[in-house]
Amino acid sequence: MGTEETVGNRPKVLIVEDEPTIREFLETGLAYEGYDPKSVEKGKEGLTLALEQQFDVIILDIMLPDMDGFEVCRRIREKGSETSIMMLTAKKEVSDRITGLDAGADDYLMKPFSFKELLARLRALLRRSSRYKEPKILKSADIILNMETRDVWRNGKSLYLTPKEFELLKMFMQHPQRVFTRETLLNRVWGYHFIGDANIVDVHVSHLREKLGDRPPRLIRTHYGVGYSFHPEEVP
Amino acid sequence: MKFWSNLSLRIRLTLLFVGLLAMLLCIFGVIYYQDTRNLLIETMASNLRARAKPTIEHWLYGKPMFTEGKKGRTYTLKKIAPFLARDLTSRKTVALVLDRYGKVLANGKWLPEEPDPVSPVPRYVRLALGGKNEVTYVTRHEGTFFLVILIPLRTSPGDGKVIGLVQINASLASLQNVMRQHGMMMILVAILTLAIGAFLGLLMVSSSLGGLKRMVETCQAISEGKLDHRVNLPDRGDEIGKLAGAFDGMVEQIERTVESQRRFVANAAHELKSPLTALRGSIEVLLRGVQDDPIATARLVQGMYREVTRFSNLCERLLDLSRMEGIVSLHKRPVVLRDVMREFLPQLQKMAASRVMKLEVGPHVTLSFDPDMFRQVLFNLVQNAVAHTEVGEEIVVGWRLVSNPEGVLLWVKDHGEGISEKDLPHVFEPFYQGASRLGRETKSGTGLGLSIVKAIMTAHHGEIEIESTPGVGTRVMIRIPFE
Repeated sequence: MGTEETVGNRPKVLIVEDEPTIREFLETGLAYEGYDPKSVEKGKEGLTLALEQQFDVIILDIMLPDMDGFEVCRRIREKGSETSIMMLTAKKEVSDRITGLDAGADDYLMKPFSFKELLARLRALLRRSSRYKEPKILKSADIILNMETRDVWRNGKSLYLTPKEFELLKMFMQHPQRVFTRETLLNRVWGYHFIGDANIVDVHVSHLREKLGDRPPRLIRTHYGVGYSFHPEEVP
Repeated sequence: MKFWSNLSLRIRLTLLFVGLLAMLLCIFGVIYYQDTRNLLIETMASNLRARAKPTIEHWLYGKPMFTEGKKGRTYTLKKIAPFLARDLTSRKTVALVLDRYGKVLANGKWLPEEPDPVSPVPRYVRLALGGKNEVTYVTRHEGTFFLVILIPLRTSPGDGKVIGLVQINASLASLQNVMRQHGMMMILVAILTLAIGAFLGLLMVSSSLGGLKRMVETCQAISEGKLDHRVNLPDRGDEIGKLAGAFDGMVEQIERTVESQRRFVANAAHELKSPLTALRGSIEVLLRGVQDDPIATARLVQGMYREVTRFSNLCERLLDLSRMEGIVSLHKRPVVLRDVMREFLPQLQKMAASRVMKLEVGPHVTLSFDPDMFRQVLFNLVQNAVAHTEVGEEIVVGWRLVSNPEGVLLWVKDHGEGISEKDLPHVFEPFYQGASRLGRETKSGTGLGLSIVKAIMTAHHGEIEIESTPGVGTRVMIRIPFE
């Protein structure tokens, strides 16, 4: 059930960027993070697409070969579109940011930027836009997870989880069926800078299973030599 | 001395000017005073003489009573002496008559208001008795100056024997008064002249040094970083105006240099940021979990490889450019064009990939050039041609001799997409990349190639020219003069 729902709910992002590598990592990364990205290289293509289709956010580079980002932004706004626009700029000048914001952009990000920051800003933009609402409560199988109050229930019974266990469970519930390696879980939950044994993941997963009362057939399944995945639909 | 050098230039120049003026006035005044005094005394003396002459002639030669006696003229002179002395005496002058031995025969003073006679000075008396002419001198007697005239008395007018003399003296008190007033007047005039001179001098110096004050203000503004400030004295043609002009010119040049440097750094930073953004983003995306997907990972890593290559390329080019622009020593060596070109041809063909690389061998010449830099120039130009030429098209490299200046003209010609009129003037600017369709697709250029070529050519006293027609092709020509 969950998969279908999330796909339908995935925020649509248009990426207008002429640098192929930046375009590629944005597309790959955003797809992985649960967005529905589409990317184009040129300003005019971007403009046409932005006017034809409904996007939740447009990520717009300023330096484009045919029509610069300011112009694209201005024209999108001229047509009355209220899609959130995030500008990417390589220039430090304040005037550039002002021009961008005046042209109708909602936010800007300076290159080189952190992908994490981009995600945070995208979430902020989405929260503000009326069309898309980030779900505050995740439901999978008989588990209910409230992201605001950080409460967790299973079968109507409240569970006490440590912050790391909560983040782990959230990751699993947001991406059902996906196999996460220990390294990925470490990077996502503990951070890129965490230095230590990947076994810490195993320890936390086993604690989490214990607290969930997870017995075979398990919700959190072990893939030997690879990692873990979450399978809510198989629980009766 | 320290005090003097601490004074402002304006005050110093004015003081100097006033000092000179005062010195001139002093010299002039002293000379003028002396001259005037002498002239007045001389006039007075000649007046006295002129007045005395008829009286003397009257008593000596005009009266029958003056005759040659037995005992000579002295005796006779003794008789007429009181009358002569009395006739020559007035309110202002008094006369003495002396015999030929210098003894006083008669004193003309009778009335008390008449001045006292000064006692004769033997030296002058002897001089007058022995010489043929009158003796005139000024002497001081009881606080006042007197003009004294000694007139010899002769037996006959002109060349007769000297039998005595008349001493006439006149007080110079009135003349002295006149001179004193005159002197005071002169001093007053001098002070007035100096005051006016000082005032005008200060005005003049201030107006000529006024430009300096503006220059000081401008310098201060510039040292605070306001490089757009100028002295701006276009209507002054003097030295200060020229200095201001030269100064403005220099600041203009500095501002341009700083601006181009700033643009260069901004562009360099921008160009370096692009690959960094791509690398950072790709790594983050991988770390967040995409590393578990082999296909996506491969794609991202390929992109990262591309960016790292581009980044290191760019760094290398930037280093090249900074080396070229500050070239200290060129390792010039004879470059035999035919041999070098034949040697490079296989590499150039490889670079051209599936484009046709043609070499038109020109005359046999030897150039004096840094071999590494020559290679860099040639490869850069061919690389540009390749990047903007469709597969299968022709690229031609050739050379010929040219005159004025004597040298070689080498060209790289392609039948590529050409450079638009808008882009052509900017192609030598670092990081400038025109809106090229082919160049964009390959993403190979750094925008520094032509800047490097130009820097190398400038260092070798050569030139570079580009002719291009969009859609037809481009011809880049470099001129290398013989030493």
